Amino acid sequence: MNTPHQHHIHCEMNPEPAAIERLCQVIRVRGFQVTAMTAELRGSRWEMTFTVEGTRAVAMLQSQLEKLHTVTQVRTDAETEAEPARRLA
Amino acid sequence: MNGAQHILQAFNRHQIETVFGYPGGCIMPLYDALVDAENVEHVLCRHEQGCALAADGFARASGRLGVCIATSGPGATNLITGVANAHRDSVPMLVITGQVPSALIGTDAFQETDVLGMALGIVKHSYLVTDAAELPAIMEEAIALAQSGRPGPVWVDIPKDILLTDVSPAAITPAPTATTAPADISDALALLSKAQRPLLYSGGGVSLAGAEESFRNFAGQSGIPGVVTLKGIGNHDRQDPFYLGMLGMHGSRAANLAVEACDLLLVIGARLDDRATGKLDGFAPNARVIHIDADAAEFHKLRKADIAMGGDLSRLMAQFATAINAAPLAIDDWQQQCRNWCATKGFQAADNDEPEAPISGPSFVRQLSRITSDDTVIACDVGQHQMWVAQHYRFNHPRHHLTSGGLGTMGFGMPAAIGAQFACPGKTVINVSGDGSFMMNAQELATIRRYRLPVKLIVMDNQCLGMVRQQQELFYDNRESQINLDDNPDFVAMARAFDIPAISIQRSDQIRRGIETILAYDGPMLLHVAIAREDNVWPIVKPGGSNRDMLDESSQRTPGIRQPNGENPSTNAKETAA
Ligand SMILES: Cc1ncc(C[n+]2csc(CCOP(=O)(O)OP(=O)(O)O)c2C)c(N)n1
Repeated sequence: MNTPHQHHIHCEMNPEPAAIERLCQVIRVRGFQVTAMTAELRGSRWEMTFTVEGTRAVAMLQSQLEKLHTVTQVRTDAETEAEPARRLA
Repeated sequence: MNGAQHILQAFNRHQIETVFGYPGGCIMPLYDALVDAENVEHVLCRHEQGCALAADGFARASGRLGVCIATSGPGATNLITGVANAHRDSVPMLVITGQVPSALIGTDAFQETDVLGMALGIVKHSYLVTDAAELPAIMEEAIALAQSGRPGPVWVDIPKDILLTDVSPAAITPAPTATTAPADISDALALLSKAQRPLLYSGGGVSLAGAEESFRNFAGQSGIPGVVTLKGIGNHDRQDPFYLGMLGMHGSRAANLAVEACDLLLVIGARLDDRATGKLDGFAPNARVIHIDADAAEFHKLRKADIAMGGDLSRLMAQFATAINAAPLAIDDWQQQCRNWCATKGFQAADNDEPEAPISGPSFVRQLSRITSDDTVIACDVGQHQMWVAQHYRFNHPRHHLTSGGLGTMGFGMPAAIGAQFACPGKTVINVSGDGSFMMNAQELATIRRYRLPVKLIVMDNQCLGMVRQQQELFYDNRESQINLDDNPDFVAMARAFDIPAISIQRSDQIRRGIETILAYDGPMLLHVAIAREDNVWPIVKPGGSNRDMLDESSQRTPGIRQPNGENPSTNAKETAA
């Protein structure tokens, strides 16, 4: 199995009733696990950061997040290998 | 004007004239408004799944927006399969549901379900309307979004109080249509000019983008051989000498061989689905890839593309055609090779000439194809019969072949045929179903009867869940498990109970008469076709296997074709691969 990698994702999104769930669901369904997150409503925009782990390419996750209608921006940081203790089973 | 009336006004503004729905408590204000609606025909199906699938069939056959409506709770949950079906096949759909009044949301009120949460994974987007003032903008956005880019279902969940609240729509300004500069296709052309064995691999994205004509022009003018996915059937001109048919699990040997041999694959409006590619390691191992699609998230998802291009497919195809005309490809040997494959390894099915012989599925479908006219719409269900239609019916346009590709939804066919008949009242619409699938939405016979839709229903009855039986035979040591349907109802009597005439055939020499009889009848009619239980779909690639390892009839008698994952069948008997 591929080694899981850790990624940091920064996301901006228009407010809507399911904003956070929508993002979290895409992250899970596309094969990543959230290990930390922050979310703050700033004015008329949600700003969220996620630390995620997964074996798949994060670019694939990024393009799926960008596709969401209410998401206005997605940035991912350079990947780092996940700490062994945190590795997915 | 209240929220409900506003919705109908939005329908009028967008020329939405046919909607499929089922009433109930929380959506009652909309049904009340419908009483006075003049330009909207509401089609009452007999199950919300039927509504969603009919809206789907309407959209697939016409390219217009399909609309379905249901109440909260069970109405909404019954829609789910149909909406997921539209999502997986990128069908433009607007879904409207009533929700419990705003003040009751979150109190476990009668018929409350969290529709927004439940549907997140099966929609392009969804809204819960929390403020009546936002309803007009949401309706505009939802209608546009469902049809733009890569289309898909958009779900608007509206609490009952909002349907009853006055809304004063702000002036709606139509969104400006974006104009884009022609794409730079020079890199792609450079790859193409160097290729000796280029191959077109096209899918449902061609018709979704309205690029049918420009695709055909490009295919015709370039002379590049082509294979199609299940949803791309009909993309090529039937007379195209270099068309090799469907690829993949039940594709033609010719198509799969060409994919294996090609040195450049032009993937056009397709997403490289696993049923089409087989095991990725073995897929087009020698090819560079140019991927053209409306959805950038499909690029590099499963197969790295050397060149990926988004944008307007129709325009891109036209650009490619112009460039190829100016500098034609020299691929004669490859074309000849593909023609040979086509002649020797295409879909073959001998018609059985013996009059008394039992009916074979493939030969029935070939006769259907010969007898029906060019613009007939065929709505399939899911199973062996679906694959026989894909293999042996010669479609001339992708919108004539309605099939549940991504989700593989048994029960799709009849409601989809209903939707298609509303969308195309002048066309012959035929539902080709299996005895298992037919029973999944059989209640819609009542809808056919109510609207006197001239839909023709064909039930290919092998008294079992054929596709599952076939996989149990081939990959599970012939251990049949829960596939027997030999206690089916009398389908002829069943149709007649809905006032739909019906006939039954059992022998090869009855096929032509049977088909001609239902086509000639002025109204809906059912043809029950008894076929052999043992008929299989050939070729087949075992699930998870590589397309190069296609099995055909001779492998049926070969011991050792077993578990898809290579495990001992006895440890895994409960798994179903279908
Ligand atoms: C709703 C649903 N349930 C289960 C399946 C799994 N499945 C795929 S094909 C098939 C058998 C279909 O039987 P029938 O409609 O009689 O068609 P046949 O294969 O015999 O032509 C089943 C159960 C499915 N695709 N959809």
